[in-house]
Amino acid sequence: MELFWLAISTIAIGVFGCVAWFWGSNWILDKIYPPRGDRAGDNIRRANQIRPWLFLGPAIVFLTMYLVYPVLDSLWRSLFNSDGAQFVGADNYLWLLGDDKFQESMLNNMLWLLVVPALSTLFGLLAAQLTDRIKWGNIGKSLIFMPMAISFVGAGVIWKFIYEYRAAGETQIGLLNWIVTQFGGEPQIWLTLPGWNNFFLMIVLVWIQTGFAMVILSAALRGIPEETIEAAILDGASPLQVFFKIKVPQIMGTIAVVWTTITIVVLKVFDIVFVMTNGQWGTQVLANLMYDWMFRGTPDYGRGSAIAIVLMILVTPIMVWNIWNARKEVR
Amino acid sequence: MEGMAGQKSSLAWAVNLAAFLLVLLWTIPTLGLFVSSFRDRDQISTSGWWQSFSGSEQTGFVRSGTADDQVQQDGVYVIEGSVVEGSQELSAWGTGARQPAEFQPGDTTEIDDGIQLTVTEEGTYRMTSAEPFELSRGERIFTTTISPPEFTTENYGRVLTAGGLGRAFMNTMTVTIPATVIPILIAAFAAYALAWMQFPGRALLTAAVVGLLVVPLQVALIPLLRLHNDLGIGKGYIGIWLAHTGFGLPLAVYLLRNYMVGLPREIIESARVDGATDFQIFRRIILPLSFPALASFAIFQFLWVWNDLLVATVFLGNTREQLVMTGLLRELMGSRGGEWEILATSAFISIAVPLLVFFAMQKYLVRGLLAGSVKGG
Amino acid sequence: MKTTLFTTAAVLALTTGIAQAQLVIEPGSDDRINWASLDEFAAAHPDLEGQSFNILGPWLGGDQELFMSVLAYFNEVTGAEAQYSGSDSFEQQIVIDSEAGSPPDVAVFPQPGLAADLAAKGFLRPLGDDTAQWLRENYAAGESWAELGTYEGPEGEEHLYAFPYKADVKSLVWYVPENFEDAGYGIPETYEELKALTEQIAEEGETPWCIGLGSGGATGWPATDWVEDLMLRTATPEQYDQWVTNEMPFNDPVVVNAIEEFGWFAKNPDFVSGGTGAVTSTDFRESPAGLFEFPPSCYMHRQASFIPTFFPEGTEVGQDADFFYLPAPESGDLGQPVLGGGTMFAVLSDNPAALAFIDFLKTPAAHEIWMAQQGFLTPHTGANPEAYGDETVRRMGQILLDATVFRFDASDLMPGAIGAGAFWTGMIDFVGGSSAQEVADQIQDTWASLN
Repeated sequence: MELFWLAISTIAIGVFGCVAWFWGSNWILDKIYPPRGDRAGDNIRRANQIRPWLFLGPAIVFLTMYLVYPVLDSLWRSLFNSDGAQFVGADNYLWLLGDDKFQESMLNNMLWLLVVPALSTLFGLLAAQLTDRIKWGNIGKSLIFMPMAISFVGAGVIWKFIYEYRAAGETQIGLLNWIVTQFGGEPQIWLTLPGWNNFFLMIVLVWIQTGFAMVILSAALRGIPEETIEAAILDGASPLQVFFKIKVPQIMGTIAVVWTTITIVVLKVFDIVFVMTNGQWGTQVLANLMYDWMFRGTPDYGRGSAIAIVLMILVTPIMVWNIWNARKEVR
Repeated sequence: MEGMAGQKSSLAWAVNLAAFLLVLLWTIPTLGLFVSSFRDRDQISTSGWWQSFSGSEQTGFVRSGTADDQVQQDGVYVIEGSVVEGSQELSAWGTGARQPAEFQPGDTTEIDDGIQLTVTEEGTYRMTSAEPFELSRGERIFTTTISPPEFTTENYGRVLTAGGLGRAFMNTMTVTIPATVIPILIAAFAAYALAWMQFPGRALLTAAVVGLLVVPLQVALIPLLRLHNDLGIGKGYIGIWLAHTGFGLPLAVYLLRNYMVGLPREIIESARVDGATDFQIFRRIILPLSFPALASFAIFQFLWVWNDLLVATVFLGNTREQLVMTGLLRELMGSRGGEWEILATSAFISIAVPLLVFFAMQKYLVRGLLAGSVKGG
Repeated sequence: MKTTLFTTAAVLALTTGIAQAQLVIEPGSDDRINWASLDEFAAAHPDLEGQSFNILGPWLGGDQELFMSVLAYFNEVTGAEAQYSGSDSFEQQIVIDSEAGSPPDVAVFPQPGLAADLAAKGFLRPLGDDTAQWLRENYAAGESWAELGTYEGPEGEEHLYAFPYKADVKSLVWYVPENFEDAGYGIPETYEELKALTEQIAEEGETPWCIGLGSGGATGWPATDWVEDLMLRTATPEQYDQWVTNEMPFNDPVVVNAIEEFGWFAKNPDFVSGGTGAVTSTDFRESPAGLFEFPPSCYMHRQASFIPTFFPEGTEVGQDADFFYLPAPESGDLGQPVLGGGTMFAVLSDNPAALAFIDFLKTPAAHEIWMAQQGFLTPHTGANPEAYGDETVRRMGQILLDATVFRFDASDLMPGAIGAGAFWTGMIDFVGGSSAQEVADQIQDTWASLN
């Protein structure tokens, strides 16, 4: 019971600390520049210059400490050799250029980027739209969402029961091979089929990320003002037309958000590959390659960091696109 | 509208069917895991989970009694016993590993000089010999049996009674709740500032948040733990809350900002005209309107923290007192990790709480809140 | 329903608390165990009362319980409190913890390569020349054990940094005795006989071997054990040592020859269950199952001493399944080589109790208590072989004590990028169709690229 109270009080302290900052700092700001009295206008203007930074402050502190600092740290380390003792300049990056595994990983990551965000968003949108219109929608949603709630290790086992291979003639315990043999085909070792195995891994991520896309898109679909839909229906639009011409354009922003988020998830995809193939049979990806160099056996943090930096540079186009978008929003 | 009824119902059918297929496709893999969590390890590795509902044919062997079990009947030495258990049905048997189904039930064969073996349809065997048996080790009788479907709750029993599960559950809760609430609070304010406040560098800051989404967790572990050690936080709850908050923030800010940007401009403008401060607008208008987005993110962050093992082992440690659920379940699986039945069971036990959260949150995802306020505003 | 069950269990577990580690064998009760050695140890370290330290290792599940049962005796006799925690990502965690400045007091390394790396970075404490000398005198093939724990420190001079405790024997071939009897096969006494038996089984239309290289993220490692074992049977121990340090390049004809020997077994579709395709994809934990199928999918399985854990439930080792020593060639004078492995204890802090713990590991009792349970082999010549829980383990222990040549798992000694990377993937490529020369060239290239 003691533990229980400890847990409760620690939770309370953590949460209250946070609330106290936002409430307290705004209160102090309003005390310093009271929005009333003879200098009210001036005070409000000054307070409004400071207030964004009060709102942003904690987030900026956290982001700087927990993400920017590690990025700079790895940038620095990527310029050193394996034990961090000797400055090697761009050697680690030059080595990357000539490394077969790195090229394979880049190609695979590109392939993942093309397939997974598109399919996940598409299925997510479909799931959101379909489950919003039926009675058992909530149950359906929960079932599609379930893969998100399962840990990656669990997901690895789940898909083992799908892709598992047993020699022809033996009882197949993998569903896919069982179906294939039921139709008289030869069982396949799916995860080692050159080229195709990448797609079998991607299916797993699509399966997981569809739940994410569905939840976000469903919230957006429900946020569409009913008036616009009612108006379209009165004008005689078919359900398909309503969906594509009225709903989809209105949630385009959210679709872009989902797409971007899944793209970034794909960029750093690690667990699925790590659990299922560990990058063998031509399925290596950047994040797993990085892990290999950072922590496997005798670690080479320099090379691992160099791969991490490359991985982070790949996100630049998405950032640029977002700046452009944000500028457009300033109305 | 009346004339469209027929068309409408066929459309409803199509929607139902399509939804059903989609849900089915997404559920089948998980269903496999669910069924497997009720099977034992040998069952899992010898037949597919979809076959577990029908009787399964198994080939195995049973050892006969040894010389110690023999009795003398009518001048011959006899060893008797049964080769089946429970409600198994014998379909064939044999005496050699290469031909385990050589004989039919009821057949008699001579295995050695003068030793006769009969296995009946009921599954009893009778080995007879004129000379006394000298078996020090039982003879192998290979059987092909058909067993009725069999499920076990033993896996669940084993996981749920594991020592320290309660403690681990509390630890996980202690980690998860603040690590979900704190980033939401911080992100909501930041998202509002990025969406609705005017200040220089807004677009750049937004893009930076997107850029930080891509930072791989692995590069952050060593510098951050070192930072925690230098700051004197060390390993503990404070450290892990801070870490989860840091790692979860970019997604939170990004999702919430994009949601808030889409809120109707008129409400916020009119509130400003009425003289509301940003803090008031945020608290009275933005927060309630953003509930669906807040709830969505809460679900994801909760899941991520709940299922996390890496951040927990690095920032909290994994001694007995600090162990979280995922760590405890991992311990049960053993060093070489071949125990898929425990894995399957663990996956379902740890999924229970997140699903509960999902259900609880679902009512906040409904449109009423938003549509209502827009009309009211 | 599940949730209710869950909460009930949670509350139950919360109220009953965590079971304390018990002393599994009442001190003084089992005369196979040298209890006096424990008392002597306690007498030599009187000042540990109330001290505490933590141990991080790779053991989980059963192994963890067994190790903790040994630890309980240390805590009991010294009054200190040693805490063990296991991690399946031990390698990652030890690197993060030591780099970040919050290392555990004691770490249990499954791979000497990683320990050597941390020693070079100055994270490990030297254990002293006395301990190195003790190993040479008290472990069978002590010189090689001492070498295994000796690495270059940050200043470049060599010290003993890690203490080997708990060994594995890898040169074992598992089989089902009655299947051998029924088919009339004998236990091969020489490597040539083993190959002849393989051919004979295949000619009879049966499959001789089950080989599975799958291991999730570590897929490929069982093949490295094969190659190492065959290396010891086709090359001299000196050549083996040169191979480990890359003094002899990986693509030397000697190494290529050993890889091809492995190919003789694994790349012949008639010799392996499921054909060569199944070799790379079958999980190593599931591959021995073929021995126990009827009709048998295979007759032999080469794997280390831990594998009975993955035999079907109820299998009695010694009766339903047994092992023989992977024999050495008749020709040549390679002796009786044995491939093995071991876990290494290293101290990462200045905690005196942690250093004393290494002394505890020197006592025969620390070995015998685990021996008397299961899953433990030791080269400690002072430990009573009678303490082994059963005949099978005793025979394995004997192989360890009788070895004329004992060599450690080469992949554990090579740099991680090779021994836990290129070597693994190379073997997958090799079984998948690449030639031994191609694979060896590629591994050598990777090795050469390490600075």
